Amino acid sequence: MRYCLALLCCLVAPLAHAQDLRAIVEDHITPRYVALADRTATLADQAQEDCTPDAPPLIAAYHDAFDAWIGVSHLRFGPSEVEDRAFALSFWPDPRGATPTALGTLIRDEDPVAFDADAFATVSIAARGFYALEFLLFDPQFAGGDYPCALIRAVTGDISRNAAAILDGWQGGYGALISQPGNDTYRTKPEAARQIFTALTTGLEFTSDVRLGRPMGTIDRPRPKRAEARRSGRSLRHVVLSLEATRELGQLISSGDAGLDGAFASALDRASALDDPVFAGVSEPQGRLRVEALQQSINTIRTILDAQIGPSLGIAAGFNSLDGD
Amino acid sequence: MATRRSFLTSLLAASLLARPTWADAGCPAFLSAAMRHDGQYVLCGLSASAQITFEIPLPARGHAAAAHPLRPEAVAFARRPGTFAIVLDCSSGHQKASLAAPAGRHFCGHGAFSAEGDLLFTTENDYDAARGMIGVWDARQNYVRVGEFPSGGVGPHDIKRLPGEEVLVVANGGIETHPSTGRAKLNLPTMRANLRYLDFSGNRLSKMELDADHQRNSIRHLAVSADGGVGFAMQWQGDAINDLPLLGIHWRQMDETVLFDEASVRNMHGYLGSIAFANDGASLATTSPRRGMLQVFKAGHLSEEVAIADVCGVATLGDAFVVTSGTGSVQLPNATVRTHNLAWDNHLIPVS
Repeated sequence: MRYCLALLCCLVAPLAHAQDLRAIVEDHITPRYVALADRTATLADQAQEDCTPDAPPLIAAYHDAFDAWIGVSHLRFGPSEVEDRAFALSFWPDPRGATPTALGTLIRDEDPVAFDADAFATVSIAARGFYALEFLLFDPQFAGGDYPCALIRAVTGDISRNAAAILDGWQGGYGALISQPGNDTYRTKPEAARQIFTALTTGLEFTSDVRLGRPMGTIDRPRPKRAEARRSGRSLRHVVLSLEATRELGQLISSGDAGLDGAFASALDRASALDDPVFAGVSEPQGRLRVEALQQSINTIRTILDAQIGPSLGIAAGFNSLDGD
Repeated sequence: MATRRSFLTSLLAASLLARPTWADAGCPAFLSAAMRHDGQYVLCGLSASAQITFEIPLPARGHAAAAHPLRPEAVAFARRPGTFAIVLDCSSGHQKASLAAPAGRHFCGHGAFSAEGDLLFTTENDYDAARGMIGVWDARQNYVRVGEFPSGGVGPHDIKRLPGEEVLVVANGGIETHPSTGRAKLNLPTMRANLRYLDFSGNRLSKMELDADHQRNSIRHLAVSADGGVGFAMQWQGDAINDLPLLGIHWRQMDETVLFDEASVRNMHGYLGSIAFANDGASLATTSPRRGMLQVFKAGHLSEEVAIADVCGVATLGDAFVVTSGTGSVQLPNATVRTHNLAWDNHLIPVS
């Protein structure tokens, strides 16, 4: 049996330069993980100082650290995926409600695992990370008491250790692997560029389909209570922060493509005009329409990436390669 | 003048004589969904020489199809999370029937007929319960739904019937999705795929689950060899650091699995699109549209790699393979390439 070599994509336009890859690591990825490590360390310190759920310094540290996480939540490759660190930081969406169940079990049993940092790193990821912490700080069913307080300390300590481990991974070698391809992990520049491009498009897909799509539900059945981090009023904020982070990455990977940046700008305009912090408006036709318009504007960014930016990086916008099924 | 009885008898005889076969559909060797350049989605018949024998419009993007084993009849499935499947008379181009997923369900793009084509089994997602289901439809009664049973996992995708027995094998991909969040994957940290063997009543016969290293490996597409080996093609949902195989064969009787190292996360960009055995059972082919690569394994070893842009559909022709791509190419075993002015969708379905 013989096949002839068919239609190799030889139209590879300028690939991402090594320079660009280095800029992406040095100006986008690393500083954001530094911020995450710093702010989560502060968060853990605050919890040690005062773990009452309504202590203002703790709440402020929670918001700061969560902001930093959302700013890297699109970077789902490399050190964040080792030992499921990213999932342990962010177990969401949680369609089966595993987080409140797991927390409820720990609290009911007053499980001593909360007093041992190493042991806590082995509990179900549903009971760890920012979304578990949000339940502990903002959901009345978990409010107060000595054990929940210990649990807040355990969760924030675990978050901080995970963030530090991811930063270590980037600074301790992974950053060099991806910014200087020609190694076992990234054999070529296009491979490295593809990884970053995939993170960018997947991050936008997540914001559109999950951060907005989950509360939107269906027209007949909107699901405002499924909005991300609604208990602490952060749902829209996550959309904005993630758009800002992916906009920055989009500029770096596209060498400052103006059309792409314009699409990000108009999505961010729509988001800031929304004035609906937890997407409660999805229950009303008018409110839903506005969230849908925001979703549409994010999908416009995705289309530009798939149809224009990807091909310019040598990433085919194929009928099948984009399908994912 | 004919009596009423003889009239009816002759009518019956005529209808028996006129019962169409696949020859009346221009004898396609394969079916494939496609998108035309004007954006219209279609189901096409393809001959063994890569000629289009028919082209029938579909209401939205298709995915795979199931060819009735005897009649020139094909069921075209909507792309996930579509809720329609259309039964087409491939000789006339007319729609014969349609299948609508029950409330709270959507199709997953694949289906399989029983040996005589009496029953059709469809993979479905019971999305509020995050439970895979198999729908059972009676092809003798205009495809009325006659039953359903759990698929034995989450996110079922491909389904095949084992040769010579009433056993189904289902690729439960393990990924929870919900139509309200499009195709977003909701349970990656906890996902787990399996191959599940079921009888036609839904009794669970056995299952194959890979070890914990493969927790993020989603089993999606299947091919069955004449000796009952089940080839499975996977899609990796984790980081590229884990360079695991994406292709394997499982034999139910011996409960034995082999994996093919060269069809790896790194070599195939974490994503296999289709899989097929050659008729002789000795060769197994798989495609990666993301890598733009066809791989053929013979006797357990990689025997051929061919770069083809946006390649996906693959099916056996004799002891070799026909391969289709999103650029419209159809590559035949004799290395002839015929390119049509449309984009071939994921799967190339042999008409048995």
